[in-house]
Amino acid sequence: MFMIYLDHAAATPVSEKVLSAMIPFMTESFFNPSSPYLPATKVRAKYETAKNQIANFIGAKGNDLVITSGATEANFLAFTSVNDVIRARVENAPKPRILVLETEHASVLENAKNYDFEVIRVDKTGLIDLNDLKQKLTDDVALVSVSLANNELGTIQPLAEIAEILRGKRFERLKKGITAPLLLHSDASQGLALIDLNVARLGVDLLTLNAAKIGGPKGVGALYVAHGVRLKPYINGGGQERGLRSGTENVAGAIGFAKALELLNGHQSAKRKKYLHLVEILKQELKSAKVEPLFLGNKKHQLANFCPVSFPGLDAERLIFALEDREVYLSTGAACSASKGEPSHVLRAIGLTDDEIKGSLRISLGILNDEENIREAGKIIREEVDREYERTK
Amino acid sequence: MSARNKTVFLGMSGGVDSSVSAILLKEQGYKVVGVYMKNWSKDLPGMKCPWAEDLADAKRVAVKLGLDFEVFDFEKAYKEKVVDYMLAEFKAGRTPNPDVYCNEEIKFKLFFEECMKRGADFIATGHYARSENGKLKLASDTNKDQTYFLYRISKDAVKKTLFPLAGFRKPEVKEIAKNHNLANAYKKESMGVCFVGDVGMKDFLREYIDLKPGEIRELETDRTLGYHDGAVFYTLGQRHGLYVGGGLPYYVAKKDLDKNIVYVSKNLNAKDLWTKELKLENLFLRDKNDFPSDGKIMVRLRHRAPLLPATFKNDTVYFDEEIKVIAPGQSVVFYAGDVCLGGGIVAE
Repeated sequence: MFMIYLDHAAATPVSEKVLSAMIPFMTESFFNPSSPYLPATKVRAKYETAKNQIANFIGAKGNDLVITSGATEANFLAFTSVNDVIRARVENAPKPRILVLETEHASVLENAKNYDFEVIRVDKTGLIDLNDLKQKLTDDVALVSVSLANNELGTIQPLAEIAEILRGKRFERLKKGITAPLLLHSDASQGLALIDLNVARLGVDLLTLNAAKIGGPKGVGALYVAHGVRLKPYINGGGQERGLRSGTENVAGAIGFAKALELLNGHQSAKRKKYLHLVEILKQELKSAKVEPLFLGNKKHQLANFCPVSFPGLDAERLIFALEDREVYLSTGAACSASKGEPSHVLRAIGLTDDEIKGSLRISLGILNDEENIREAGKIIREEVDREYERTK
Repeated sequence: MSARNKTVFLGMSGGVDSSVSAILLKEQGYKVVGVYMKNWSKDLPGMKCPWAEDLADAKRVAVKLGLDFEVFDFEKAYKEKVVDYMLAEFKAGRTPNPDVYCNEEIKFKLFFEECMKRGADFIATGHYARSENGKLKLASDTNKDQTYFLYRISKDAVKKTLFPLAGFRKPEVKEIAKNHNLANAYKKESMGVCFVGDVGMKDFLREYIDLKPGEIRELETDRTLGYHDGAVFYTLGQRHGLYVGGGLPYYVAKKDLDKNIVYVSKNLNAKDLWTKELKLENLFLRDKNDFPSDGKIMVRLRHRAPLLPATFKNDTVYFDEEIKVIAPGQSVVFYAGDVCLGGGIVAE
């Protein structure tokens, strides 16, 4: 099959190894982990082991994790932590507020809308404006949500620094006698494959993980919950996942997630180097197009596999369809018909003009790319850019 | 007439018919501009109108064929001229045909005028119909012919309209799509209400019209058989959804909107279910000269229904043989040979 896939930030293929690790838990070891007989308790043990493996990857224990149906559910669950603050707050205390980065994914922004919230600004590279955070971090803030890396730009946020600012604020609040919690949540759906993650080092209280972006199955995610953080479960029933998320455990999903992480382990640095090299090849090719490309994001703090770019003045959606015809698949932040015509709030936030947004492509590399197909992709994209340019000239 | 240097604005819906029309026009040498008409749509909880996907499909085909592509926003006009009109008709107890009004008010009026303003020589759509010497005629594929929905479009528009599928049969159209590797060829044809996706009309109406429970009575006996949730949701002659089980099916034979009673009958021969004449209102006659002098015409009572012999006099159609009653608000369309003569709306 000739196909050049450049949209690994959207989905990744499940490898043979991951798949064969999962299959037994859908066939011979199909048992419900809550059942009382021996084969079922063996499945329970495997499930717990998988959870421990996932947790260990981020420096946590299996018990700190809630396995969910993906990152969207994990984000939703993370935001329920605010309810505890609402419940616990003393009379006459101000209503708790949430701060979210303005470039967050819809699954964070839409959740924030259920509460009192404010957005933290980013600069032109998509990096958090720490001064804006400090200014908005008032005594009534209960939760701050900042993703590890942006899903359109690949911009990596300084989570440790943000955590440090929150820590300072907590002390300050305690001094004033304010005991309401101030939590830090991060959606780490993007970047799990390339960044060494350790919850203690990052200083996050809640961390969202996603299997589908790292070669694991779709429909599997996890929320890391630090000790002392209280969530309000919304899916009630048999009390699985410490009562935080009822429903028979997705055993095969968790096993697949753990396997995908195991395959990553220790290879992050080599992968970063590989992708930086491939992105450079791609950029060189694109630079010779008849429209000068505008590379987006933060050169220094960017996921190595990301190459967001705009060809100002062109219609990126036309490019997507023309490229699709040549079996090159990628995304756009432009007002895409399929997304109901709304241009990306991320590209707006970093101050791009309408023309720049309209001509923007999101290219994200991954397991399916090598030097050969990246060279070919660069050539094909350049040709289609040139063709569109000639058409509109 | 040479197609060279002539510009055609083609309405593209993302479906196979308009996509193949684009191919045909391009092959004939026209400069084709694809246009997606963004009409009003509504997302109901749990059912999303597929317009965004349709637009993407239309644009995908345009790009594949190297055509310019534009989106015309007719949302506001469509809501006023088609949706609001339709709701008012239903509330008044009639059964309107939104497609007829969409063609009259939007596609062959607003769209037509906008295209002409932008320098089009012609407009085109993927309808199965024929435009010849300013006359609207039946398509070669008589099974697919869509003139029933087009009988009210303006004469000016017909003169400037190309129907590239006039001479094609649907299977041939699908074949062309497949040969050009168009994904639409495999797409399921949309049914449902065009502005709410694959939703039944009743589900749509329930969003706008309050439910009002009432009795379902048997026409012959006046016996109460069951209850309905609003007489306006029922159409004369309809046989579905009466919630009265057992035996032969029931048909809606009469509606009493004032008392909110729906009368049904098992007897297909019940006299209320049959008639030999229909009084029409809101007539639209395309060209009086095309009417045979004896008034004998052929009549179509719904899309794809057979043509029935009848005589048209003043504002009434007299059928040669009895027909099953047609709900007020529905369109009745006239033909002489392959010429569509126009038609009218069934009065109360």
